[in-house]
Amino acid sequence: MAVVAPPRAVPEETLDRLERIWESRPGLLGWLTTTDHKRIGLLYFWTTLVLFAAGGIEALVMRTQLAEPNSHVVGPNTYDQLFSMHGITMIFFFIIPMTTGAFGNYLIPLMIGARDMAFPRMNALSYWIFLASALFIYTSLFMGTAPNAGWFDYVPLASKQFNPGRNIDFYCLGIIFNSISSTLTAGQFIVTIFKSRAPGMSLNRMPLFCFAFLAASFGLLFALPALSADTIFLFLDRNVGTHFFDVTHGGSALLWQHLFWIFGHPEVYILIVPAFGIATSIIPAFTQRKLVAFPLVAIAELLVVFIGFGVWAHHMYAVGMQTISLVFFAAATAMVVIPSTIQVFAWCMSLVTGTAIYKTPLLFIGGFIFMFVTGGLTGIMFVAIPFDQQVTDTYFIIAHFHYIIFGAAVFPIFGGMYYWFPKVTGKLYFELPGQISFWLIFVGTNLLFFPMHIVGLLGMTRRVYTYPSGLGWDAYNMAETIGGFVTLAGILLLLGNLAWSYLRAPAAGPDPWHGPTLEWTTTSPPPDYDYAVIPTVTSAYPNWEPAAAGLMLERDHEQVAVTPVDGRLSEIVRMPHESPWPPVLALGLALVFISLLIGRYGVAGIMGIACLLVLAAWHSQEPQEQ
Amino acid sequence: MTDLGYPVPQQRIGRPAAWWGMTILIASEATLFGVFIGTYYYLRFKTPSWPPDGIPDPKWVIPVILLACLVATSIPMRLASRAVAAGRLGATRLLIAAALVVQAGYFAYEVHDFLDQLHHVDITRDAYTSIYYTLLGADHAHVFLGVLFNVWLLAKLARGLTTYRLNATQAIAWYWHAVNVLTIVVFATLLSARI
Repeated sequence: MAVVAPPRAVPEETLDRLERIWESRPGLLGWLTTTDHKRIGLLYFWTTLVLFAAGGIEALVMRTQLAEPNSHVVGPNTYDQLFSMHGITMIFFFIIPMTTGAFGNYLIPLMIGARDMAFPRMNALSYWIFLASALFIYTSLFMGTAPNAGWFDYVPLASKQFNPGRNIDFYCLGIIFNSISSTLTAGQFIVTIFKSRAPGMSLNRMPLFCFAFLAASFGLLFALPALSADTIFLFLDRNVGTHFFDVTHGGSALLWQHLFWIFGHPEVYILIVPAFGIATSIIPAFTQRKLVAFPLVAIAELLVVFIGFGVWAHHMYAVGMQTISLVFFAAATAMVVIPSTIQVFAWCMSLVTGTAIYKTPLLFIGGFIFMFVTGGLTGIMFVAIPFDQQVTDTYFIIAHFHYIIFGAAVFPIFGGMYYWFPKVTGKLYFELPGQISFWLIFVGTNLLFFPMHIVGLLGMTRRVYTYPSGLGWDAYNMAETIGGFVTLAGILLLLGNLAWSYLRAPAAGPDPWHGPTLEWTTTSPPPDYDYAVIPTVTSAYPNWEPAAAGLMLERDHEQVAVTPVDGRLSEIVRMPHESPWPPVLALGLALVFISLLIGRYGVAGIMGIACLLVLAAWHSQEPQEQ
Repeated sequence: MTDLGYPVPQQRIGRPAAWWGMTILIASEATLFGVFIGTYYYLRFKTPSWPPDGIPDPKWVIPVILLACLVATSIPMRLASRAVAAGRLGATRLLIAAALVVQAGYFAYEVHDFLDQLHHVDITRDAYTSIYYTLLGADHAHVFLGVLFNVWLLAKLARGLTTYRLNATQAIAWYWHAVNVLTIVVFATLLSARI
């Protein structure tokens, strides 16, 4: 309870006391009841990694099938389920939870100098709901009734009439279930970023990483309701007999598409903006210079998501809208170029004007910039409406969005895994295999995705489970499949390298990269309380500034709260500690969704009441705000 | 607030976490309703006759009177929010209980009316009935959630006042203001079918 002047000499007994206050319970119970943002981040990390493997296996089975013409590794029904689950998994169960769940949870409190999220128990809840929703939707695959109408699940293909099985019900309920988790996460980040920053961290001193996550969180918060409404309507159409999408009773099949893409296009930016945040963290560390045009990049990150809400109909050029609508959405789409380009130039100029050291994390960011620009250039082509109408639903589209989603979202995730590996584990990683893994992935993905442009222009449509020979597609498809397996080799090398590094590499120390942001000022791995002394922040690059005086909070399970814009210290908050209720509530919600799936609405109601009782029990313990 | 030895302001200069959390919930739910209402008009402008032939116009006299009663509960909720800030626990409980009686009464009548309407015109009839009942039902669900909030709050306040309960009271009052506005918008949307 004192203002501590630098150097940050903290007595041993204070550290012991903080450790006792903040440590989690030992063993499995500790993981179940944890509210520690770092543990929750790691839980997210491992879970999404398993789901990434699942989505990857689905992709490789499809690529194996498509390697040669007239192939029958899997039949058409299985193939439908594979591409649907591949899309659903990679978007809802890998990239979003990996960026927001794993990277965001672990790093945002560290970067803003907090000890935990603003709502620690809700944070645990969002993980357990995510896990339950993943298990829920993957159950369908093992039952052979996985969603089979693509990740965007167009009606009438997804209507009861043409899809009578449980496949689409799994889709609707699984997506709604997952959305609850994402909404909780989004709200969590918004409040944490606005309220829990270290004193002195006004918005203009907040790391760009946090701006990116703020943008993604606002995107999730306002985009997910459209998806929820859409899936609720579809579920009601299929199971209650309403007619939202039924044209014979005044409904509209296009309504599904509009609502889906009102969610779906912001979603694309929600996927890649956190990756921008990772890039803006790695570039300053490996160029040892402040990022060029900090305020412009911060605004651009927010603007990308904002404009992303106005471009949805460019996914629907082929459905027959009025010309005026087409032109409006084409113009809005062209506008996205501006904030995107601001960022690309800022990254490139930082690389050029700094002393760039191309270690593995920065290599991945270089690869990311290359892939993002390539995917962006094909993206601009879709502004040309006649061209877009020609390539709609061909492999050209697949090529475009895999350059964006794999290139611009997953490359930075890999780069970030290397970059923060020393912080999370306390170990360095081995550089040479790291660089080899980058080149394998870079060459592999380009070999995998580039020929898709060509086969797309040659007329190969997406979602065909096989194709005849003699169309001039054979060699390209074989190349793509080889590229897929090269990518796999690179990813396995990456994971193997990190695992081996964890066992054998030398200790990293608190700050191996001389990184600019706060997380590099604490030990690696960080202690349970993150910071013994809550730092006072004087710039956006606090680790490059002389240490200022900080606050030592050691009285209780406490954290500071600040004013949202200026970062003035406003109060000391006593945070809730471990709680058994988040996993119990997630289980209760899972039972609600299972009951809805099998049509037992009465049981679902009873389970809903049980969930409310759990919530009441949850709130019987009151964290005090003072 | 006691002196903690920190340079912490004596007066609150930032919103409590409860306000932030409630604001996020309201933002999310308001967006959901925005999508529902957008859907309502999207379907309406694709349909030549609205409500479709054979379906009576939505009734308005009793619903509007009840709506006025519900919206009026914003006043006791607001007063409760001020009373609790002044530490007047008895007044807070009384005001919330008064609001709760009206809100619960409103909810009970609306559920009865909802089932009655369903009995006459089924939800499965066409797109109009689909969105009509979905929008109305979603609104009632949010009123029900508010009723539960108030019941829970009264149970909490029965055991005295803490900072946590103070923040909860103000957050729940904020929820009710938002639900009341949403309900006005929903009723205006549904009754617009009469025009």
